[in-house]
Amino acid sequence: MILQPSNTEQLVQALAQASARKEKIECVDLSALNRVIEHTAEDMTVTVECGATLTALQTELAKHRQWLAMDPPNPDQLTIGALINSNVSGPRRFGYGTIRDYLIGIKVILADGTVIHSGGKVVKNVAGYDLMKLFIGSHGSIGVSVEATFKLRPLPELEKFVQVQCKSLEVADRLIEAVIKSEITPVVLDLHQISKPENNAVTVVLGFAGTREEVEWQLAKAADLGFNQHSSLDYEATFWADSTLTHRLSVLPSTIVRVIRNLDGAPFIARAGNGIIYHRGTPAPRSEVLPLELMRRVKDAYDPNHILPELPL
Amino acid sequence: MMHATVPTVVSAEVVDALCAIVGKENVIYGDEELLVYECDAYTIEKQLPNVVVLPQTTGQVAAVVKLCAQHQLPIIPRGAGTSLSGTVLAVTGGVMITLSRMAKILEIDYRNRRALVEAGCVNAWITNAVKAQGLFYAPDPSSQSACTIGGNVATNSGGPHTLKLGVTTNHVLGFEMVMPDGEIIWFGTRPDGGEEVDGYDLRGAIIGCEGMFGVVTRVLVQLIRAPQMYKTMMGVFENVDDASRTVSDIIAAGMVPGAMEMMDQLITQAVEAAYHFGFPLDAGAVLIIELDGLAAGLDQQAERVIEICKKNKAREVRMAKTDQERMELWKCRKRAFGAIGRLSPNFLTQDGVVPRSKLPEMMRFIRACSEKHGLRIPNVFHAGDGNIHPLILYDEREPDQVRRALEAGHDILNMCIEMGGSATGEHGIGVEKIDFMAKQFTKEDLDAMRTLRRIFDPENRCNPHKMFPGSKRCADFAPRKQIAA
Repeated sequence: MILQPSNTEQLVQALAQASARKEKIECVDLSALNRVIEHTAEDMTVTVECGATLTALQTELAKHRQWLAMDPPNPDQLTIGALINSNVSGPRRFGYGTIRDYLIGIKVILADGTVIHSGGKVVKNVAGYDLMKLFIGSHGSIGVSVEATFKLRPLPELEKFVQVQCKSLEVADRLIEAVIKSEITPVVLDLHQISKPENNAVTVVLGFAGTREEVEWQLAKAADLGFNQHSSLDYEATFWADSTLTHRLSVLPSTIVRVIRNLDGAPFIARAGNGIIYHRGTPAPRSEVLPLELMRRVKDAYDPNHILPELPL
Repeated sequence: MMHATVPTVVSAEVVDALCAIVGKENVIYGDEELLVYECDAYTIEKQLPNVVVLPQTTGQVAAVVKLCAQHQLPIIPRGAGTSLSGTVLAVTGGVMITLSRMAKILEIDYRNRRALVEAGCVNAWITNAVKAQGLFYAPDPSSQSACTIGGNVATNSGGPHTLKLGVTTNHVLGFEMVMPDGEIIWFGTRPDGGEEVDGYDLRGAIIGCEGMFGVVTRVLVQLIRAPQMYKTMMGVFENVDDASRTVSDIIAAGMVPGAMEMMDQLITQAVEAAYHFGFPLDAGAVLIIELDGLAAGLDQQAERVIEICKKNKAREVRMAKTDQERMELWKCRKRAFGAIGRLSPNFLTQDGVVPRSKLPEMMRFIRACSEKHGLRIPNVFHAGDGNIHPLILYDEREPDQVRRALEAGHDILNMCIEMGGSATGEHGIGVEKIDFMAKQFTKEDLDAMRTLRRIFDPENRCNPHKMFPGSKRCADFAPRKQIAA
């Protein structure tokens, strides 16, 4: 069953009904719930309905020179609900973190139609358990998020990107380590090879954001490390424009080069500072040990009839 | 779920078994020795645990917890006991598990900017250990020289510098926790693992649970690069309104200072009497603004801050000229609570939060509250976060003053909630703020939280009688020792 509510009340009723009849929900289309409810620029917070796209939200925020410091792929199609459900992020994650660092309040309709809130609209809040975190990356498996409140950041005065082509992964590895040991504080630290060049070169990209003085000082420092070529995030757009299945790996940041070497030359983008690798080709075997029994209890407790999608693991 | 309705009894056999697990020298019983553990920094309610154990390994913690599970005994995890809401109060007695003898820094991974520490490790020790490498651990509660990382995880601690960098949940990557049945589980990122972990963010759901889901034993924290430079300024204002407007204007100008802390006249006078920093005694408000980050451009930013202060009628703006001066200024701020001893034998502190833009209104309300209840209420707070810290002064020897202090505190927190804020930004609910849960959350919200509790602790044995309305209070148990409220 696909739900297309035109307001929260309809969604509450539809879920209550589906829960009573134990009908599976494949998808909830929230595109009708797309308002920016309240942007309090002086508090640097915004409350938005989860059907709004990230681009629509950013456009609104930019009027006050603020933004939700997230840059996942395809923001013009990505809804706020999907952003929370899938916990996606982009290259600036090294500097700004992920959605769990910005979400300060949430309104969720649980599987049986119960409306719950967690957090609030203030940036610091420890009243009650932090239920919000359960919904981030939950793939809609324990409730439907309908409203979210985020803390925001001011848009940086200036942003610049520079890159170096390295002739091997080993050279890139040493360069990344040099960046991490240096005094610069890039918001992007990426390593990529989105198509295999003849000379097997890999590219290391740095992004700087902040005041003009901060960015220019860092550009000079980066040049000393060999970052002399101007760059942009075009590689990011190119990589995601290709609809080939992408796999994600999360490893100890210092081990990315070792992991990439086992990808058999498949195209990849790595968030070198975070240890996140997106790659094409064959998925690597997973060996993560997760507290699965507790996760099963979470699913059973909040969606006892299992009408919402299962958590993909 | 059933609550124990009588104070807990721990048999001599159980005490012997506890001694066998952790060693006799790591078990404390007998009223005299237990007195230290009768409360945390919230001293209005007190109750002795039956026994305190001080394990030295995760294995010992698990064995103690299993023993308690077999005997259906409440367990109360405790760090340094610096919490301010009765979070570690043994409401019906029980076995208190104190982590202070598990305090080692186990590993520091500079390349990946991570440190693995035992839960009893003191917050400030981490930064002390890594600062030579230009790194630090960001959350800096005022109690950081005493409070433990395990306690920080339990309460999702903040501090003055969280305006820019966030709180504990933004800096703790993962941890090992002993579940209430004794099972040992690692949550979140492993010391040698990637930062993204599939499935539900149970790490995030546990941080801030006030020790009600299990006993955290080891913690993996993220270290970050220390700022190259600080510009710490002190703006002196005629009144709190002007200082509050300054805070809003700095934010509106697109700057995010590392910290913005405000002290009103009463607290400034107390701090000056105690530490002789050179604060003006006749100013309505002092605002500490700290910019940090790369040195490049920080001077220009500081000039803009000074300009904004002056536009809002600052009488003067002083800049800390040396690192020494900066440390002195912060010492005064962080020890402000300590200076209160000069003004009053006792104080009750609150940590409500309001949207930053509502601060002037909130300060006016606190003044009115002070007059209404006939008690002095100095204020020192994280202005950038809208996190207030009114210090309600009272004398515990005067029952009427205690009553008025509690009433004033309630009035203030009710107003925080009414203004769209929260009853607690840092200290947690504990036993102190239970009554505000039903005001801030709906029945459904609370039920969803209870559901989470049941997932981790189906028997409600881990740090029981906290957080939720309807929990037992000390007064219900004719406690052996309690100061009247």
